[in-house]
Amino acid sequence: MDSGDLAPRRSRWGFALSDAGRAVADVGALVRFRAASLSARGRRAAVVALAIALGGTVSAAVVPALVGGTSSSSAAAQDVLLLLPTAYAGFLVVTTFAIVGAGGGRELLPREQAVAFPVSPTTDHLGALLLAPLNIAWILQTWTVLGATAYVVGSRGTLWAVQLTTFCWLLAATAGAQVVAWCVEWVRRGPHGILVVRALGLVVFGVAAGLVATHHVGPVLDRVPTLRVVLLAFQPVGNRWGPWLGGLLLLVAGGLAALGLGAAVAHAVAHRPARDEQRGESRTMSARPMPRTRYGALLRTDRNSVWRSVPLRRGFLVLALLPGLVAAAGHLDWQTLPVLPGLVAAGGALLLGVNAWCLDGTGTLWRDSLPVKPRTAFVVRVQILLEMLVLATVLCLLVASLRASGRLTGTEVAAMGATAVVVPLQVAARSMTWSVRRPFSMDLRSTRGAPAPPFAMVGYSSYLAMTCTFTGLVFSATARSGDPWLTPLIALPLVLLAVRRLVATSREWADPVARSNVVATVSTR
Amino acid sequence: MRFGALAGYREHCSGRLVSMIGAAVDVRGLGVRFGQVEAVSNLDLAVAAGAATALVGRNGAGKSTTMRVLAGVVPATEGDVSVAGIDVRRHPLAAKRATGYCPDVGGLVPRATPWEHLQLAARLRRVPAGWEERARDLLELFDLGAAAHRITSGFSHGMGRRLSVVLAAFHQPQVLLLDEPFDGVDPLGVEAAFEVIADARSRGAAVLVSTHLLALATECCTQAIVLRNGKVVAEAPAEELSGEAGARTYRALLA
Repeated sequence: MDSGDLAPRRSRWGFALSDAGRAVADVGALVRFRAASLSARGRRAAVVALAIALGGTVSAAVVPALVGGTSSSSAAAQDVLLLLPTAYAGFLVVTTFAIVGAGGGRELLPREQAVAFPVSPTTDHLGALLLAPLNIAWILQTWTVLGATAYVVGSRGTLWAVQLTTFCWLLAATAGAQVVAWCVEWVRRGPHGILVVRALGLVVFGVAAGLVATHHVGPVLDRVPTLRVVLLAFQPVGNRWGPWLGGLLLLVAGGLAALGLGAAVAHAVAHRPARDEQRGESRTMSARPMPRTRYGALLRTDRNSVWRSVPLRRGFLVLALLPGLVAAAGHLDWQTLPVLPGLVAAGGALLLGVNAWCLDGTGTLWRDSLPVKPRTAFVVRVQILLEMLVLATVLCLLVASLRASGRLTGTEVAAMGATAVVVPLQVAARSMTWSVRRPFSMDLRSTRGAPAPPFAMVGYSSYLAMTCTFTGLVFSATARSGDPWLTPLIALPLVLLAVRRLVATSREWADPVARSNVVATVSTR
Repeated sequence: MRFGALAGYREHCSGRLVSMIGAAVDVRGLGVRFGQVEAVSNLDLAVAAGAATALVGRNGAGKSTTMRVLAGVVPATEGDVSVAGIDVRRHPLAAKRATGYCPDVGGLVPRATPWEHLQLAARLRRVPAGWEERARDLLELFDLGAAAHRITSGFSHGMGRRLSVVLAAFHQPQVLLLDEPFDGVDPLGVEAAFEVIADARSRGAAVLVSTHLLALATECCTQAIVLRNGKVVAEAPAEELSGEAGARTYRALLA
């Protein structure tokens, strides 16, 4: 290779490095900008939420080890050890689908605000990676993987080294998922991109369904490459520090390579227009007959707003199908299935529910000038939210039940039915309270749109992850109890509490001052 | 008159027209406070039935807040506000039925079509059957006929403004509230808005137009009210603020 070939290559590397340096500085500036826009109360809430998220992560990484003691050779620990490679691979798959579903991940600064600033694709890429953990699936899976690993290791002195490796894997896998998501977005924005991506999705779904139908899931999972990551993580347990260090450095290098590759693909994506959004915004709809009732008219408008929104539609599909497919692949038993609705409902709330009034955008001002009782508008919005959450929950349970292990009993049916009702209701009630008390001006036009700013999403994700998992675990326990009356006995007060909260929030919404605050905030552009 | 074809619809409304005699906007001692910010202070305002009044002033003068109070979207902190003889605070739903409101920003549900907006408004406002013809005429008047079934999130700013005026006017309200109806609108759209205002006045409706564009305001309104820092600083016949001399007077009032 002559010097003429080397010269431009060096300049390209130099450009990439300086771009990366600028991007890191820009991400810092954007985070500070977002933090500065928080009120004192919002800042306190964000700190508490971050503390909960970090505390939950540290607890997940340590507490199960104390529960497990030093008996990593116990039958239970051996069972969990066998599932670890699947859990590590599951994290990668679910994170990938979540970021693909979000059109490349969340934005640190919404696009319509970012147009005034020179935000480079590398900055966007790093921002999306930084926000990737603000996803209920990411948080819960991280806690699960760290917790399971800790349980297997037990209270040994090498726990820190094993968990360090696990955490490095989680970060590297997230960076890898981001690369895949950018690649999918690049294809989607290309010629016939939407068709190609849908075809790819069908192929993936078909292969997954084929594996399930032909009972090949087990053999495939036995050969997942993440087995090597698990073996690497457990090297310190056998005092093999040399191979561990070498492997860890390789893992870190892989993560950094994915980081750089992601930035390069993000640049390529930025050169292509977002076809989904453009197509959606120029769509012509066929006229439908006049709704027969006023309630029906409101309901139809809200349903259209939900199902015509690209981020909501994609997010719904990911939520409804992915946890169910993972559960089906993992051959979960009927008693564990009640945990799934919590994950799905919490995810649904993070798509829209936490700021439900932003659905109409600037149209909220006009809608509030129409002669409708505030409570009617409130009930319609709750119904829309519940429809979305319950539908996603039922679909998820149906998919998961295709390969659920064991014989289904009445107690288990009651537990699943209860979670499918209680959790969406709890989530809807809490979400509507947040929507009335803490509205945000957010745009759900973009495929990467979110209903609240990043710092608020941290709080919502942490809260929902904890409460929904707890409720799911409670009903999972009632499913194991064998007592058919225990589930309704626990479900009834929870339903009544959620309804009570909804009624109280509808009263808040009926107050003209509170309502005008919401309307003015979500209408601002 | 392009609405001449709507004779049947007008006949239906004739009863309402009679009841509209004396319909007006009446604001006394209006105050609106957002936390520490006093958006409007001790504002008095009256618009007679069949009259069109312009609310003009600088950014942050309190024009849009006043319009939002009249539309029943923002509650007054103090003072009495009535539209078409209805107390907005006591009877918000009746007040909303009597008004048609074009908000200053957006004002459109992003993933609904213009026709779906009209269907929703017709159903909620209990507009009797036959409204479709008038709705189509209005869409044509504002050059939106071809976009009647397109999602509004793809609309340009001017198209959105024009549709907002259509939505405010199509049910023939007793009080028409137009907030920045000319903002970013092309000359044909402005002419259409003028026609809507003239039609409303001819029906006996009270019209309130809030705008930054003094020349257009004085052209379509009979009266002008100048706001500064949430207070009325001048009220005069619109013609006194028209032309070069009027513009100088206006600038002096804003200073």
